[in-house]
Amino acid sequence: MSDANIIEQIQRELRGKVAEIANPAPRRFYLKILPPDLVQATALLRDNLGMTHLSTISGVDKGETFEILYHFSIPEADLNLRTEIPKDKPHLPSITSVIPGAILYEREIQEMFGLIVDDIPDKRRLLLSDDWPEGQYPLRKDWKHVRPTEVIPGGQS
Amino acid sequence: MNVQIPIGPQHPALKEPISLRMTVDGEVITDADIRLGYNHRGVEKVAEEKNYIQNLYLTERICGICSHSHSTCYAQGVEKLMELTPPKRGMSIRYLVAELERVHSHLLWLGVAGHEAGFDSFFMYVWRDREIVMDLLEMISGNRVHYAINTIGGVRRDLDAGQVAKILEGLVTLRKRSEYYLRIGATEPSFVARIAGVGFLSLEKAIALCACGPTARASGWARDVRKEDPYAVYDELDFEVATADTCDVLGRVVVRIKELLESYKICEQILKNLPAGDIAIKAPRKAKPGEVVSRYEAPRGENIHYIKSNGTDKPERLKVRAPTLGNYPATVEMLRKGFIADIPLIFAAIDPCICCAERTVTLISAASGEESVVRMSDLRRRAIARHQNAPVKRNAVWPF
Repeated sequence: MSDANIIEQIQRELRGKVAEIANPAPRRFYLKILPPDLVQATALLRDNLGMTHLSTISGVDKGETFEILYHFSIPEADLNLRTEIPKDKPHLPSITSVIPGAILYEREIQEMFGLIVDDIPDKRRLLLSDDWPEGQYPLRKDWKHVRPTEVIPGGQS
Repeated sequence: MNVQIPIGPQHPALKEPISLRMTVDGEVITDADIRLGYNHRGVEKVAEEKNYIQNLYLTERICGICSHSHSTCYAQGVEKLMELTPPKRGMSIRYLVAELERVHSHLLWLGVAGHEAGFDSFFMYVWRDREIVMDLLEMISGNRVHYAINTIGGVRRDLDAGQVAKILEGLVTLRKRSEYYLRIGATEPSFVARIAGVGFLSLEKAIALCACGPTARASGWARDVRKEDPYAVYDELDFEVATADTCDVLGRVVVRIKELLESYKICEQILKNLPAGDIAIKAPRKAKPGEVVSRYEAPRGENIHYIKSNGTDKPERLKVRAPTLGNYPATVEMLRKGFIADIPLIFAAIDPCICCAERTVTLISAASGEESVVRMSDLRRRAIARHQNAPVKRNAVWPF
């Protein structure tokens, strides 16, 4: 399947649900999808294009908005689904009903960026410790780490 | 009655800080839960404050076994962002080290699998042979684990004819031994009886839970980034994707040994067609605004780095997904309906990452707080001297 064929097929399957398709390098596709269409678009691509393998979900803090990328792959290409949500109302639909393997990645971005994944089956923290203070989201750009002073027993202070 | 057993974060059966909570009914596991974060170091946050070349060494320290896989995945992404075409010889050396790293990682895992299955002589044999490849890696890069051979735009050390001959010689021995292990791993009755049918993961579940690497391939899912998304040299090489359809720990052993044999084949092809020329080109300090998804087949599965640049010398965002994280949902599935005694074996079968190897030691005097760095050889000399001056114990006499 050539790159042009894949673009054509995506456009046919996702009629109107895909805002933009970019193909900056061979085999690499970036699809822009609005948050309300995300679950349906993922389901359509899974059923018709065999897009079952989710590698990870990455988030980028862009100031006013969060950009969330879902890195999928099929044997012929890499499909990156991009969606943007506002920072003051950070709600993202959960895709675990379509891709059960997405659960850990959704839990990860939820705690790292402080966004809310609606209908997520497991809301608990994944990586941050249980005594981590509320409202501290490490991967937001305005969050700065303050290193506590280290005390080595018997060492230089 | 259901009882919950916590295993980890510190537990003699696990060599890595992770917390597994097993709900058991008698001997049978009915549910499993995983809690992570005991080794979370905030690498992604640190990466935003370091420049591209510093990040190369940072990513190398993500893993203590497949260190080269992270730095290569990062370097090939940054090279795309900077629109560099590294010289062919440099690429051949980079991916030669990558395959040798796969060999050392798989041999390490085989030993661990033998150990967890109670077959300790297998463990000792395999780890003895692993030293061959560790010595080769040390000869190529100067280090056993963190090779630091990558740079943006190529590699930092060249190979000479003598080294090439030594590597080829080492590969002959390794291939002979690996064929023997394949015979043992797949036919030795007590070993097979211990691992066959343990940790079942069906193909449907492997796909649904996005498993990757040898774990997925042992369930019959023939996907390998080297084959489906051939980066750098892999489109010119002849190799097969190893799979098994038994969907259990036996399949994972067989897949890994077959991959070893494929890796030897790849190394030989790279060495026999080693192109002449430079090993690296000069890279710019800054990258134009853009984004790149870099994929790499690490020993444990697909490794993916997402790098976004903003025009400065530091990345806007570096997202790293190591293959072990992708295999956790599948592990929970494998543990379900298994026995408590199989937990270490099943968990070890996804090859979770463990750190190792330390070369120089910083000694801090407890009395004065003075720090001094000593070499391993000095430390050994001191240990021998201390031992010689130690009070002599009475020689033990065999009573019969």
